Amino acid sequence: MTEVQVVRLPHIVEPLDPATQPPRVIPGYVQTGWRTPEKLWRRPLTRSEFTGPSGQGRRLAQLGADIAGRGERQALGQLIHVRLALVDEDGSPVTGAMVEMWQANAAGRYAHPNDTEHAPLDPNFPGAARVVTDESGRIEFRTIKPGGYPVPDSRRWWRPPHLHFSVWGRSFLSRMVTQMFFPGEPLNAQDRILLSVASSDAREALVARALPTTEGPDDALVYEHRIVVRGRRATAELD
Amino acid sequence: MPRLVPTAEITLGPFFPPSYVDAGANDLTTCEGKTARGEVIEIHGTVTQHDGTPLHNVVLEIWQADANGIFCDAHDPRSQEADPGFYGWGRAATDAAGRYWFRTIRPGRYAAANGTLRAPHVNLVVVFSGLMRQLSTVIFFDDGAGNGTDPVLTSVAPALCARMLACGEGGGRYRFDVVLRGARESVFFDD
Repeated sequence: MTEVQVVRLPHIVEPLDPATQPPRVIPGYVQTGWRTPEKLWRRPLTRSEFTGPSGQGRRLAQLGADIAGRGERQALGQLIHVRLALVDEDGSPVTGAMVEMWQANAAGRYAHPNDTEHAPLDPNFPGAARVVTDESGRIEFRTIKPGGYPVPDSRRWWRPPHLHFSVWGRSFLSRMVTQMFFPGEPLNAQDRILLSVASSDAREALVARALPTTEGPDDALVYEHRIVVRGRRATAELD
Repeated sequence: MPRLVPTAEITLGPFFPPSYVDAGANDLTTCEGKTARGEVIEIHGTVTQHDGTPLHNVVLEIWQADANGIFCDAHDPRSQEADPGFYGWGRAATDAAGRYWFRTIRPGRYAAANGTLRAPHVNLVVVFSGLMRQLSTVIFFDDGAGNGTDPVLTSVAPALCARMLACGEGGGRYRFDVVLRGARESVFFDD
């Protein structure tokens, strides 16, 4: 079998284990009940779902992975590097895939018109990075650690510090939006979203790993994180 | 090698950067300076929640075949013949009145695994604050050939098929409203 044939086999996407996912409607998160469909349908999966866009750089502008700024323009807060690895269910790196990251600033405020909290904006921190994974499926972000923030009208639900990720895998079915949390944060144990995931392994997989301070650059703490997108390679037998 | 568990999906929340909905990302008729082949069409509509309220800043993404029914992806067996002027993916966001708009090419048909021709269709994904996972539906056309035998369209209750049909308004313009929840709820798939 040639490499070309292997690449062209479709990827198998199996139903998600509900225990590894938040429920679609979360108690205490009222909008989930306004917007989640009452009924979901099963359908046969076809070429339309097993294919998907690649190289979104043809359609979307890249913004780079270094958003902390430098010198007098450096953003306020704790400088961090986040080493993200994007893999499929086989553990194979997903290369050349667009990743969108966005986050609050160190005070817990988003540079977004919807965020009307009183925490201050940081003129040096737009909080948005968009970049394509390299040949090993990785991206190293240079940013600042986000602050936590209270969710408006939520009866004192505070979101723990987190990064948002929007990623593409190898098919339209592997499109995914998720969040990354930081280890050792007291708010993690109170977050209505993180707590809604039944499986403790799946919850822990949402939390990045802090590297020893003896590793990485002198001026930044380093976190490692892995995102697993849906899909694994079909074998020749299955095809 | 043991299978890894896909990462838990979590809503994009209310603060998705407006800059991520790039100008022109909802116009699929050109790609890197090349013009797509085929008939230009427009698909537009509104996105509403359970009480009929139109929703602002809902992100919609589409994925479709080119005018000859070929996807711009190496997994398509005819990808070598794909239209270089058609990328097949686009993104739009709703305005304050809940309206979205795509300009694209009427998708062609292709043979499914069992030999049946798929009806012309556009895959639509909705991502928004309060949706823990993306919602997937499919836009078919009310004047589309082969709707009656399409394996996906015929997989839902017949009474609901009309909710997957974009309504022609003439001049290549189609209306497709998205209702996230409620009596007129759109047909969404759990894959």
